[in-house]
Amino acid sequence: MNTEENINEQKAENAIKHQGFLGSKPLVEFKGVTKRFGDTCVMDEMDLQMREDDRLVIIGPSGSGKSTLLRVLMGLEPIDKGEIHFDSKPYVSVDSKGRTQTDLATRSKVGMVFQHYTLFPHLSVLGNMTLSPVKVHGMGRSEAEDRAREYLGRLGMEDKLNSYPGKLSGGQKQRVAIARALMLEPKLMLFDEVTSALDPEMVAEIEKVMLDLAKQKMAMMIVTHDMYFAKKIATESVFIAGGKVVEKCDPEIMFNEPKEERTKDFLNKVLHLK
Amino acid sequence: MNMSFEFLRVFSYWDVLLNGLGITLLFTIGAAIVGTLLGFVISLMRVAPSRFIKWPARLYVEFFRGTPMLIQLFWIFFCLPLILGQDIPPYVSVMLSMVLFMAAITSETFRGSLKSISGEQHDACVALGLNFRVKAINVIFPQALLRSIPPLMSNVVSLFKESALISSVGIADLMFVSSNISSSTGRPVEFLTAAAVIYFVVAFPATRLVDLIEKRFLIRFA
Repeated sequence: MNTEENINEQKAENAIKHQGFLGSKPLVEFKGVTKRFGDTCVMDEMDLQMREDDRLVIIGPSGSGKSTLLRVLMGLEPIDKGEIHFDSKPYVSVDSKGRTQTDLATRSKVGMVFQHYTLFPHLSVLGNMTLSPVKVHGMGRSEAEDRAREYLGRLGMEDKLNSYPGKLSGGQKQRVAIARALMLEPKLMLFDEVTSALDPEMVAEIEKVMLDLAKQKMAMMIVTHDMYFAKKIATESVFIAGGKVVEKCDPEIMFNEPKEERTKDFLNKVLHLK
Repeated sequence: MNMSFEFLRVFSYWDVLLNGLGITLLFTIGAAIVGTLLGFVISLMRVAPSRFIKWPARLYVEFFRGTPMLIQLFWIFFCLPLILGQDIPPYVSVMLSMVLFMAAITSETFRGSLKSISGEQHDACVALGLNFRVKAINVIFPQALLRSIPPLMSNVVSLFKESALISSVGIADLMFVSSNISSSTGRPVEFLTAAAVIYFVVAFPATRLVDLIEKRFLIRFA
């Protein structure tokens, strides 16, 4: 498959770049980020870097804070300590009174797709896609509609332009959600278990959309339970447990010969090896 | 005791009964419209961040939900003019009490549907960078309003039935005229039954309509 070849080529290219740190700037840097929910510490002084052309897959046991990591990066959750830089500029920090400060201009460069689609049910597909560009980003309505048409066309859904979300299948809803996020031309896309709520036959169609995005060199951070897909799409992988980064390495290493015992245990469990 | 009923006599009073129904509908619809608008404002006050806005609204709603409508009606009709030292035309005080009652229950309806918009919808708004104004006007309110249509219509049907209480302060509504005719003709069975049937004939299709809207329309959009 063309896409796959392309992706493998890119992965090789990235691997070379990363070894010498050539031409790949850090895009996201978590610096000692702590996040608590009551007494539970879901991120414990976490440090994590992601480069600009990475597709970082985050794996880990449930409750290990994978989704929280994405939500913090989207500005959906306040943090208790630490800071996040985006594109080498401060993005999220904590002020002296303990309040989380988020740079809104930077936040608009991050897009997110959720497990349950979260489309606006009272708006058509077109309405969902053009709301933010027109009402917030000052794009002309006709320009926004043209762009929406183009993106939907790429996802094979131009005939659903005027449909309401209630009439779409799960896979179609998720494609619209991805297209809606892309409308704002983000520098980084966050995918939070986006295929978990889908019927198996629809998982492949969403994974294909994501692989196509990968081909276009979109930076992505992906939380998934699908280890095969993770291996296929990732240029970098990270295993998180107990609010800490346990292991971060090339997915080939992670899925074939992980160094850490906890990573091994986890992968053995989810991949049903021995 | 001679038990002969003459239901046909009801028809010779049809114009009076119809007038009564007209007054009932006038008060119901008027109070429904004004009360709904006021109820929407109250519901926003109740989710406001400041407690100086939140608490008076809460007090008002709890008071009107927690006392009989008849006492509210009497209080506004008899006590308010004494307290203000000024006459209030009966139609005004009756309308006022119905509006206040409607607004109290409607604000709870709106508040419920505002709260029912899931956290995920709010997350999506943040992820799309929507500011507060766009989020409220384009995302949250339309969904909340759509969802509140069925309970709102049920509220109006309740108000329509409860409005029979206004006959007790002399408003010539359906209840008032039918009980008047029944005592002047000495035929309570015929006229009170007729009044019940008229109330039912209006209320029943309205409740059916609520169900229909819920099943056919809201499933698609909210």
